[in-house]
Parts: sequence; C-alpha cells; structure tokens
Amino acid sequence: MKQLFFSSLLLLASATVAQAACYADYKAKQDAPLRLHYGVVEVRGDCSVASAERQLRDALADNGWQLLNVLGVFDDTGLDERKDSAGEYFLRF
Amino acid sequence: MSTSSASEAREIGNRIVIAGIASIVAILALTAVMLFINLPDANAFNARVERLFVENDNLTGNAEIKLLEILAGSGTAFSDTLASYRFVIFVLLVFATALLIAAVAFLVLLIAMNRRMGRIERQGIEVNSLTISRDQKAVYLNDFEFKLTDAAIETLSVLAEARMDDEVLTGAEIEAVISGRSAADCDEAAGATRIKRLRDTLGNQMMSELLVKNIARKGYVLAIDKSVIRMN
Repeated sequence: MKQLFFSSLLLLASATVAQAACYADYKAKQDAPLRLHYGVVEVRGDCSVASAERQLRDALADNGWQLLNVLGVFDDTGLDERKDSAGEYFLRF
Repeated sequence: MSTSSASEAREIGNRIVIAGIASIVAILALTAVMLFINLPDANAFNARVERLFVENDNLTGNAEIKLLEILAGSGTAFSDTLASYRFVIFVLLVFATALLIAAVAFLVLLIAMNRRMGRIERQGIEVNSLTISRDQKAVYLNDFEFKLTDAAIETLSVLAEARMDDEVLTGAEIEAVISGRSAADCDEAAGATRIKRLRDTLGNQMMSELLVKNIARKGYVLAIDKSVIRMN
C-alpha cells in the first residue's frame, strides 16, 4: 500500500515536471497579404504534438493567425536556441 | 440546272456561312475560357511560398521569414500584372472575333457580287429600276432618263402593267389595250409597229432588244424583274 502511494506520487511528480517543462515550436500564417511567423509556445497538459496543435489552433485563430504545423515538442534545454528565431512570438500565445 | 437546285445551293451556302461564323465564335470563346482558366490566380504564389515555409524546418529565422514574405508580395504583384495582361488578351480576342466574322461576311458578299457581275456581263444590262413618268413623258432606266413620245409611253406602260401581272401580250392585244377595242378587231401588225416605234424611240436597237423581249408565237414582254417597275 505504501509502495503504491510512493510510486503514484513519483509518477505524479514526474508528470508535473514534464508538464512544466513542455514547449512546442510551430509555424503560422496570415492571408492577404501573406504573413508568416515562427513561434514557441508553452504546452499545457499532455506533452505531445497533438495536444500542442489543439491548444495552438484556437489561441492563434483568436489573434487572426492560422496554424500551419507544429514542428515538435521539447523541454527547457531547447528553449534558448529557439529564442532568437521566434523573436516577438517567443512564448506569446 | 433547274431553279430549285440553284436555290438549294444558295441555302447550303447560307448554312455553310452560318456554320463557319458559329465555329469561329466557338473556337475563340473556347480560347477565352481556357485563357481565364489556365492563368495562375493571385494566390498561387502565396501557396508556393507557404509550402516552402512549411517544408523547410530551418527557414525559421526572422530575416528568412521576412524574405519569404517579400517573395510572396512580389509574386502577388506579378499576378496582378498577369490579370491585366489577361484582360488585354481578352479584348484582343474579341477584336479578332469581330474581324474574322467581318472577313467571312465580306468573303460571302464578294462571292455574291462576283456572281452578280457575271450575270450582268452575260446579260448585257441589269435593270435595277424602271420608272415610267407620264407627266414628264420620260422613262428612267436605272439612272438614265429617256424621253419618249406619247405613243411610246403608252406602249411601255401597257408592257409594264402586263409584266407586273406576269402576262405576255401579243401585238393585237397591245393594240387592243391602247386603242380600247377588242383584241379580235385589232391587227397584229399594228401592235408590232408600236413595239418597233418604242424600240426606235429608245434608240439603241441592241439595248432595247434586251429590254423588250419577243417570245416567239406568244408576244412581247419586258425582260426585267417586275419588282423594279414603278409608275408615276
């Protein structure tokens, strides 16, 4: 019983850690005239491309952007190298 | 060749002309449709740039993205130019259609004119209008004015009236109409004399032969279309 509790706690903790450190980079566009941007966003919930897509589609649509694709998900270690490229869209949505 | 086959040939000719003009219009309309379908629309360039952006994961820098946007912008400007070209080409197509139709119509007219010229050359004279003016004692053939004597005017009027009724008058009948007696009482020679006088008054023997035709054993008739005769 005790073992089970600890293991579940551990699982929970690891999940929380993974959740806190999950980011995704994506590409989006606006039509007429064509505008493009590359951005980095923090993924809430499940750390996967699918959940990032779900979360981004609505957030971008509210701001008049259309999601093109999500390149991938990564943790804190990948954040710095993408900061320059993302520019003003770094963790904006 | 009988008359019916000649008019049949004319009908076939008309049908060919209509078919020719219709095919010209159809071909050029098809060209216009192809023109509007095949030219790239304004979004084609944007779609290309967008695909380029999606497919290359390393095109993520600010500068690269700006360049891609400029590329798309210039593509859009170019497609605007294409749209204006397309309009110019369309206008030229319309002109081409009009010119081709006119060319076909003139060709047909030319052929008809040639045929008519040939007929005139064979016939020697083509009377387009024959106007008998009793008060001026003159007859107008096309644009030529011929002064006639009273007797000649009478003869010509009788012949013209008979022509309008599609009748052929013998010399005796002509004399009967003019003198007011019955044809049985009139002499054939008297009518023939009237015809001779009319021909003499009209002058040129050959020309009046062409105008006043003698049909053997039937009588005299004006050798012109009855629709051109007018009296005043």
